[in-house]
Amino acid sequence: MKRKLLTLMLVLVLTVPMVLTGCGGESQSQVVKIAFIAPITGPNAAIGLGMRNSAELAVKQANDKGDLPFELELVPLDDASDPATAVNAVNKAASDPDVLGAVAHFNSGCALATKDVFHKYGLPAVIASAINDKITQDGYDEITRVISASEIQNVYAGDVATTKFGAKNIAVIHDQTDYGKTNAEQFIQKAQENGAEMLSFDGIAVGQQDFSALLTKIKAEDPEMIFFGGLATEAALIKRQMDELKIPAIFMSDSGIHTKTFVDIAGELGEGALCHGLISPIEDLPKGQEYIQAYEAAEFKEPHEAFGPFAYDAANIIIEALRDAGTPDRASVTQAIRDTEDFDGVLGKTSFDESGQTELNSVITYVVEDGKWIPLEKSSFKEQYIK
Amino acid sequence: MDFSVVIQQLINALTLGSMYSLVAVGFTLFFGVIDLINFAHGEIYMLGAFVGLITVGFFAGTGMLASHFILVLFIVLIVAMVVSGLAGAIIERAIIRPMRGASDLMMLLLTLGVSIIIREGVMIFYPNGANPQAFPDLFPGGSVNLMGIVLKYEQMFVIGFALLMVLLLHVLVNKTKYGRYMLAISQDREAAMMMGIDINKIITFTFIVGSALGAAGGVMNGMYYNIIKFNMGFLIGIKGFSAAVVGGLGNIYGAIVGGFLLGFLEMFAAAFIPGGSQYQDVIGFAIVILFLVFKPSGIFNEKVYEKV
Repeated sequence: MKRKLLTLMLVLVLTVPMVLTGCGGESQSQVVKIAFIAPITGPNAAIGLGMRNSAELAVKQANDKGDLPFELELVPLDDASDPATAVNAVNKAASDPDVLGAVAHFNSGCALATKDVFHKYGLPAVIASAINDKITQDGYDEITRVISASEIQNVYAGDVATTKFGAKNIAVIHDQTDYGKTNAEQFIQKAQENGAEMLSFDGIAVGQQDFSALLTKIKAEDPEMIFFGGLATEAALIKRQMDELKIPAIFMSDSGIHTKTFVDIAGELGEGALCHGLISPIEDLPKGQEYIQAYEAAEFKEPHEAFGPFAYDAANIIIEALRDAGTPDRASVTQAIRDTEDFDGVLGKTSFDESGQTELNSVITYVVEDGKWIPLEKSSFKEQYIK
Repeated sequence: MDFSVVIQQLINALTLGSMYSLVAVGFTLFFGVIDLINFAHGEIYMLGAFVGLITVGFFAGTGMLASHFILVLFIVLIVAMVVSGLAGAIIERAIIRPMRGASDLMMLLLTLGVSIIIREGVMIFYPNGANPQAFPDLFPGGSVNLMGIVLKYEQMFVIGFALLMVLLLHVLVNKTKYGRYMLAISQDREAAMMMGIDINKIITFTFIVGSALGAAGGVMNGMYYNIIKFNMGFLIGIKGFSAAVVGGLGNIYGAIVGGFLLGFLEMFAAAFIPGGSQYQDVIGFAIVILFLVFKPSGIFNEKVYEKV
């Protein structure tokens, strides 16, 4: 009994000062944190690191400007492109009371898994570049998104393939993820509406390297076009192996392959591959040069990749909202993000509709020429493809 | 089904099988000699691919990649095999030997630990190592085209080189002193010791040989798919292990046959089962489970015995 009492006292003596100092520290601290949750490791690490650097850049610029009543801090967390890891990361971010907003996710699978978690904690999240339609369909106030939803992109791609290119026979491959499969389905639905025929619909596994068996099978179907729903690494391998097996079909994919990684891996055999980018080339955008120069000046190790600007704008929208919100708490920041009106960022002027979806839409077709993604309209493939 | 399609699939399968065989041989060698399932072997394969990539880097810009590609290719292969062979020897000498005699579970965990260290090490220390790395074309991109069948020069080389390695291994094991020592140790270690064989030396030698073969597989993988990743070793490790189990752990020829069998099964699952392409990487594991349940001794009836 005596020993128990002693232990209890010891525990009290040890913990009470901790609680006290903890509280004391908080009331003095002028730190507001923004969580960043995207794949920093794993198959999409290249893109995720570009996004992290961009968000960091936004935070750094805001701090350097010094007109905020508090110090901003970015808390980068890794979702490793894995929904379970993503939920853990969001739980971790939300349990820190200083975190008032989050720039979140590259992968749709992750965003679909975490949107309810964000809602539960009332933590506002600006989805940077996960495009699944369902992410914003619950009408959660906390969820907004700065990138066009997938349907817009894929309907556009379906139109380009059928009406512009005149493709009638299309083989479809997808990577079985929420992202890739949805893209492939929406694309083929539009293409079929326009009178094209779907020859085959095959899934592959993320991380798979050898597609020669599948492509040999597809070759026998003699398609005019192969559409792939998925990401850069698998897309590059498929494009390479298509050429090596001498399949003459056009290769088209979604915005997920619109990265330097695709060009690096596909090499010379990547020439002529098509994708649908969600924005015009960054350098052609009004504020694009400014962003690129700032990014270069910050001397990050990794390139910003195609999705850096989305994370940059998402972070800046949160920073703006923090400035506008009367009190720095999650509810008012959520409201301030929702009230964003014509936010003038790299992507253009962002406003959100009732579902939290950006009203900006600027999908365009890209093609690989001379080892670079360039708009199809500006390339020499224009005559070859457009009928 | 079109005849040329079947032939094309066979060629694809042979290429894949060649790479699996090179890895499976390592598993079977280690198991044969010291009853060790070395899960770090997949990472040696990855290490081989990265050493190959670094070696290629030295030739970039000299123009030798185009003019003397055969020479470059062999230098790359030899450097990768030597470095990875040494890495295998170091792992054996520094980590596995001191623990020899520990329980199987301990050894398994040990090799798993080593594999994580190598994998994460490459990710951290190789510049931009978290990203997939483009592996340059070491071979001219041409191919032989016959009746709609495409046989790339690269494929010929991969298959040919794997067969050459298998042949060399056969000669090494059966015709040389060291090879016979290896056989003797795998049959009865104590008797071999009593006959005056320096078993430590032979075990290290086995690790060098097995690791070098795995590294050759890694370089093949790089030049064939033109992409390598820090985490590529995990899946190939499990697949190589599966191939070795299917052939009968401890039997070199079993591992080779198992490797090709796995390649064929994967290819044919993707090619001829509707919707099979998404299960391509899984099929091997299903086969391994079937073998473990119904025929644990493998195709070649390698003896499975409990030591008393």
